[in-house]
Amino acid sequence: MNAPRRRLVTRFVRPAARVAAGCAVLVALAGTADLPRVSGNPATTPDTPGATALSPAERRGVLRHGPWPMPATTDRSNRASGDPAAIALGQRLFFDVRLSAGGTVSCATCHEPARAWTDGRARSQGLAALDRNSPTVLNAAHHRWFSWDGRADSLWAQSIQPMLDPREMGATARHVASVIRADAGLACLYGTAYRQAPAAQPDDERVLVNAGKAIAAFVERLDTGKTPFDAYRDALARGDHAAAAAYPTDAQRGLAIFVGKGNCSLCHFGPAFTNGEFHDVGIPFLVAPGRVDSGRHDGIRRLQANRFNLLGPYSDDVSGTTATKTRHVEQQQATFGQFKTPSLRNVALTAPYMHDGRLAPLRDVVRHYSDLDMDRIHTHGEQLLRPLKLSEAEVDAVVAFLESLTSPDATATPAPRSVPGCP
Amino acid sequence: MRPPRRRGRRALASLAVAASLAAAGLPTIAYSAPPCETPRGFSAQKRLESPDAVVLYRTIPPAIEVGQHFAVEAVVCPTPSDGAASGLRVDARMPEHRHGMNYRARVVKKGDGLYLAEGLLFHMPGLWQLMFDVERGGRTERLMTDIDLE
Repeated sequence: MNAPRRRLVTRFVRPAARVAAGCAVLVALAGTADLPRVSGNPATTPDTPGATALSPAERRGVLRHGPWPMPATTDRSNRASGDPAAIALGQRLFFDVRLSAGGTVSCATCHEPARAWTDGRARSQGLAALDRNSPTVLNAAHHRWFSWDGRADSLWAQSIQPMLDPREMGATARHVASVIRADAGLACLYGTAYRQAPAAQPDDERVLVNAGKAIAAFVERLDTGKTPFDAYRDALARGDHAAAAAYPTDAQRGLAIFVGKGNCSLCHFGPAFTNGEFHDVGIPFLVAPGRVDSGRHDGIRRLQANRFNLLGPYSDDVSGTTATKTRHVEQQQATFGQFKTPSLRNVALTAPYMHDGRLAPLRDVVRHYSDLDMDRIHTHGEQLLRPLKLSEAEVDAVVAFLESLTSPDATATPAPRSVPGCP
Repeated sequence: MRPPRRRGRRALASLAVAASLAAAGLPTIAYSAPPCETPRGFSAQKRLESPDAVVLYRTIPPAIEVGQHFAVEAVVCPTPSDGAASGLRVDARMPEHRHGMNYRARVVKKGDGLYLAEGLLFHMPGLWQLMFDVERGGRTERLMTDIDLE
């Protein structure tokens, strides 16, 4: 193992990255002074008091994390996407405990608005204890795969899955359909959204799917706004160094590490800070003695067996374009123990962390990557990670950067929606 | 996306040098790639060649973006109609990270010597190798090119 690892390190850090690492070290040496030390490298951008110097590569790295918000899109596989009645229906269903078998839990049980749409638990609790941490549903419209293992290929398929899971809401298609048919308000919204009253739809599974599509239409609207990072990024894009200098210097130092020597943005890529794919990051996947969570490996199996996937009869995308990922995704040995790269937007509000919620606070996550145990990374898999060996000041800086990804509206409860003609 | 670039590696190194010399109008090493004509309307972005095969390809869309599916349209010479090549596989990997794509490209013949590979996705920025495995006579020859994504 040692020889390949040394080779990886030397080859992994390309010249531009070496510059970035050098800058990051200089920044770290500057400690917590108000004005970060400025690199003498002529490749760095002009400096303004309070602004951390960035190499051209680092600057490009920062810019590709925006612009934010991303353009609103509609999901072609979901005919309810963007429909006001469906959004209103989805919002009501999201908070409705009657959809669960015992009438005690709803989607919001694990996705509370006040907790940035998580539950604050290490592992979630539905009708029974679950094995994984509840990810936030904020900005979920921009994801490619859903759930930690990517078992769902659409937001609406993901919305159906907890309703039917015996450990989550424990419902059946018949139960969900009966709740919607029996409630005048839900039935009205359903009829408006789908041009057919639920009572006139004899197929319970079709009503269930449409409920899932309505919930997805609602969740698609849970995009969060600009953050302090976005203000900095936008200022950088327009060359407004004075505005950029308003971004806290410790966050700037952390950002330089994030896009520089940390190489964090390889996986936490783009405006949503996720490449939407799956990686083994050295978290043990033993759930309990004798029981393993294989992550993406089983997620692909479940995806391909799921009758609600985008290749199934319920997708509304007649072109089939949205199903390209589902047609071509491949279960490989290396997918064992891989979990989805989460978005980092609003990450400071979504503790505890990792797929099983084993790490909190945020500083411990940064330390995890700093002190990474390479023996826990699958040897047959990718060689992407290496211990970052960050100083405490650097850990502080990265945490400050991550905290700057917090949007003020991340914990807002959406106002009730009304649709003319519906109670 | 930066344009695809060559990096000398193993046997490919000599081919890349040859191609560079040829482009510069200078004498080249002693082999001649098979002739290769593209079907009408096909404009290749890149030509890969070895003594026994030529692959002309273009990506759809022309610019590859991280996290976006793309397709590859390719012409292989000698063509299947010549009886020289029996098939084509297209794949990609990140050599520095020791992983490939999470998706399996599916290749179909479109006629006129054209192949279409669909379902490719580069999920990270960095150096990727796009690989064309040309099958003929029970053996496979690999032609590849480097693509550096930002």
